[in-house]
Formats: sequence, structure tokens, C-alpha cells
Amino acid sequence: MRSIDRLFEKSSRALAQRTSRRSLLAALGQVLTGAALIPLLPIDRSARAGEAPSNPKAKAANPVTDDPKSCDYWKYCAVDGFLCSCCGGSSNSCPPGTAPSPITWIGTCHNPGDDRDYIVSYNDCCGKVSCGNCECNRNEREKPMYRPSRNNDLNWCMANADSNYHCSVSVILGVAEK
Amino acid sequence: MRTIVIRAALLSLASCARLFAAAPLPAEHLTLTSMPPDNLHRIYVLDEAFFNEIDARVHIFDGDTYRRLGQIDVGFTPGFNLSPDGKTSVAATTYFARGSRGTRTDVVEFTDNATLKTTHEIVLPPKRAMTLPTYFNLGFSADSRFLYVSYVTPAASFGVLDPAKYTVIDEIDTAGCVLVIPSGPNRVSSICESGNLLTVTLDAQGHEASRAFSDVFFDADKDPIFAQGVPETNGYAFISFLGEVHEVDFSGAQPAIRKPWPLLAAADKAAHWRPGGQQIGAIHRHLNRLYVPMHQGGEGSHKEGGTEIWVFDLSTHQRVARWPLAAQKLSGVVAIQVSQDEAPLLFAADDRSELAVFDALTGKLRHVEKQMGQTPWLILNN
Repeated sequence: MRSIDRLFEKSSRALAQRTSRRSLLAALGQVLTGAALIPLLPIDRSARAGEAPSNPKAKAANPVTDDPKSCDYWKYCAVDGFLCSCCGGSSNSCPPGTAPSPITWIGTCHNPGDDRDYIVSYNDCCGKVSCGNCECNRNEREKPMYRPSRNNDLNWCMANADSNYHCSVSVILGVAEK
Repeated sequence: MRTIVIRAALLSLASCARLFAAAPLPAEHLTLTSMPPDNLHRIYVLDEAFFNEIDARVHIFDGDTYRRLGQIDVGFTPGFNLSPDGKTSVAATTYFARGSRGTRTDVVEFTDNATLKTTHEIVLPPKRAMTLPTYFNLGFSADSRFLYVSYVTPAASFGVLDPAKYTVIDEIDTAGCVLVIPSGPNRVSSICESGNLLTVTLDAQGHEASRAFSDVFFDADKDPIFAQGVPETNGYAFISFLGEVHEVDFSGAQPAIRKPWPLLAAADKAAHWRPGGQQIGAIHRHLNRLYVPMHQGGEGSHKEGGTEIWVFDLSTHQRVARWPLAAQKLSGVVAIQVSQDEAPLLFAADDRSELAVFDALTGKLRHVEKQMGQTPWLILNN
């Protein structure tokens, strides 16, 4: 499976470098439009591989929690922003008066409660100024902006009618098959 | 009771006598402070104002007098840069018609650094890259003929602007590669997901003449480079998450990629030392010194601020100093800059919004400026 993924990835990149912006937009439109098309997304299956996540000292000081208002909550493993749970919404719901971003990026987080990896969609909630409450900056498997589908530095409200960033949610899309 | 009243009266009289004896303060005149002459220890600190993100600003600070000289307002998730002659600041930013909402206007604003007045603007298509500040969100060609602005919608492209006529000349598709790294009078390179660079060469009018991809020089999966580069003579050093230094010479028609070298020795790797932060390095060109904020971390720690600053000799690739910051009561350093003179200052912004000023030769702490905004993530200078 991994070799198929890699083949797909390589051919996609080669294609992206040969094709026009219009066709890239069309491709991105297919890829980055939310949950309905998620099975088509290239999923990072390296979540459990390799070294321990983040700073070991920080992890020791912050034990596992199920509190959705805590940055240590497992679903937030790559959130860089303000937790919507602290802004009038929840971990998977935007606060009143805002609008969810239709485009987003996808990561994989490990739930220690059931020892499964989950595919998580990190959507931004848009249309109001930054919430400023419960700042959370975790970046497991996050990549720089030249890999947008893995990047949390971009304002994912960019394509909204009101593109102001307010807060971030983490929506479970399914179990990441190993 | 009577005694108390008498004492109070005497005290009151004494006070009045002192007041009458002193000359009154002269009347004041309301004045307007001018910017002092520019110097090599002036810095421009971009506060992204993450907690109220429509209100970013640039603080101008003097590293000699430790004075704040003034402010430039730069809107929402701005890119920021200086002109090659240092006389002009440019900010690519976004405003909403009703403050935090309403019609979006993307714009490049020009500010005269001698007066801090915003003098001109160029309205952009609503495509500007809304992301963290780097050297590469917008930048001038070496001769200032063109100004380039990174677009992400999330399709990637860049705008070519005329900073003399204040017009948009063209938009150039970058096939998924992002940001603008100007070189020479007419070249723009962008970083690609495949681990290489795209370089677009423009004609005299600012339209695309040709394009070419470099060889692949990093692995975005295993060890990605930070999107922020570190300016050096003839190019930039790109540092990877795991501490490899990829130096790229942009002085020729196409980028020349040098053999990478490591920041970390085996013992450093075993202790999980890594570079991290937002502006992850600074180079003094004449001293040939590279300064990097380093922390002990792991997967996902690449934005953590440095607990030490490590100093490297770019000629020998040897570490020549490490300066722990905890003893200075500083928090994790997320942005770093060095002045380019013979008595250089090292500026370091930490994740508590403090700005530290060091002697860049010895590491001696000279000053800590508190509350340099909320989130100072980029420091520029001439």
C-alpha cells in the first residue's frame, strides 16, 4: 500500500509541476473540499512511525486528557491556533456567527484511549477576528507551506467570503487504516 | 485637638511656601518627533498580533539607545520587507471593509522609513498568501525595478508589480511551488513540495520569459526545510527540521545548490537538539557566522523557541559558541537577526514577546525590551 501511495504521490507532484494553475485549482478543488471526498485523500500513514512526538519534557508535564478545552487533547495533535471549544463552539463545531472553512488540511492523530490512529480534518472557523482564547500550538507531522495539504500556517479561511480567522476545530473523519 | 489643627495649618503653610518659592514649569509646545537618521542597529520587528490578528504592526527599534522609534500598521497576516536601499518598507496585507468583516481588499502599502508615513499603495487581486511572515512573502528585484508578491488561493502563483508606477504587471503561475525568492534583476524562485526550486525568469516588461526546476535537494517527508531562509552572501541558507544546512547560491542564472552540512554532531542528535521557531537563523556576512535558536524536541517541535543560541562558522561548519538563554531569564527564542556592522548586535525575540539585544561577538546580554507586541515573529534590518 505504501508503495502505491508513493507512486501516486510522485506522479501527482510531477503532474502538478507540468500543469497549469487552472488545472491545479481543479485538482485542489477535488482534494480539499471536506469530508465527502476524504477516502480519496493521500493519508499520512507515518503517524506512529519513527520518533516520539514533540518535546518529551512537555509531554511529561502534560498527561493525556479528554478535555476538549485543553491543548493536550489527543485530537489537537497538529492545531496551531485558538481552540473553538473555548470560543463558543466545540472541538468539531464552529462558534455562532462564524462560517466553517470549506478547504482545509488533513492530519493523523493517535487516540491513546483506544490506541487507534484517526484521520482528522483541521478546519478553521471564519468571519470574526481571532478568538484569542485557548491558544494551542502543536505541530505533529505538520509540514511547511510548500506542502499545503499538511500545513497549519496558512489561513484556511482564505477562500471564505469573510476570510478573517477566528478559531480551529479538529473533526474526526475516520480511522486511519494501517 | 487644638494642637492637631495648629500643626496641620503650619504644615499647609510650609507646603505653600515651597510652592511659591519654586519657579513654575514653562508652558510646553506640542511637537512632532522626527525619525532619527538611519543606522545599522535599527530593526523592524513584525508583531503578527496573533490574538487580534487584523491589527498587526511593525515596531521600529534602535539597538543602541533601546528606544522605540515608531510604528507601521500592517493589517491582517501581513508579509513585510524592505527595499534594497532600506528607505522604503513594503507590507502586503488585507483589510476588511467593516474592520473584522466585509469586503476583502488585498494591498501592498509603501511606507517612507524616514517619516513613517504610508505614501503609496497597489491594490492586488484577492489572492495574497495569508500565512506567517518570512523574507519571501514579498520582495524586490535587486534593482528595485519589480516587486513580487506571493499568492496562495490555495493554488500558488505570484504577482509582478511595478513599484515606480504602482501597478500590477502580471500574475505568474508557479505550478504548486510557493513564495517569492527574488534574485538578480529579473528572477524569482519558489519552493516546491517535491524538494526543489522553480525559477521563473522575466523579460524586461516583467512577464515570464522562461522557467526551470532545480535538482531535488531536500526531502519534504523525511526532513523538510523551513520555508524561512537565512540571507547570506549571494543567496540563502535553508535549514531543515533535523538541522541540515542547505546553502543555495542565487547569483547565477539558475540556483546553485551546495552540499548540505549538519548543525548537529552525534551527541547533539542523541540529546534531541533541533532548530526551531519562526525566523530560524541569522548570518553575519563578513564574520561568516550563522546564529540558530536551538531546543531539545522531537516530531512536531519545529516551532518551539530556542533555549540556546548556537553559533557556527560558515567556512568550517564548526560550532564556535553556544549561548544558553535560561540564565538570562529569556523564554524560547522564536526570531533572530544580526546587524551587519563591525560591532554587531544580535536581536532575539522570545515567545513571551521580549526582545533581547546581545553583543553578537561575545553573547553578552545588553538589554531586554519587554512587551514587543504580542507575537514578534520577524525581525528585519538593513
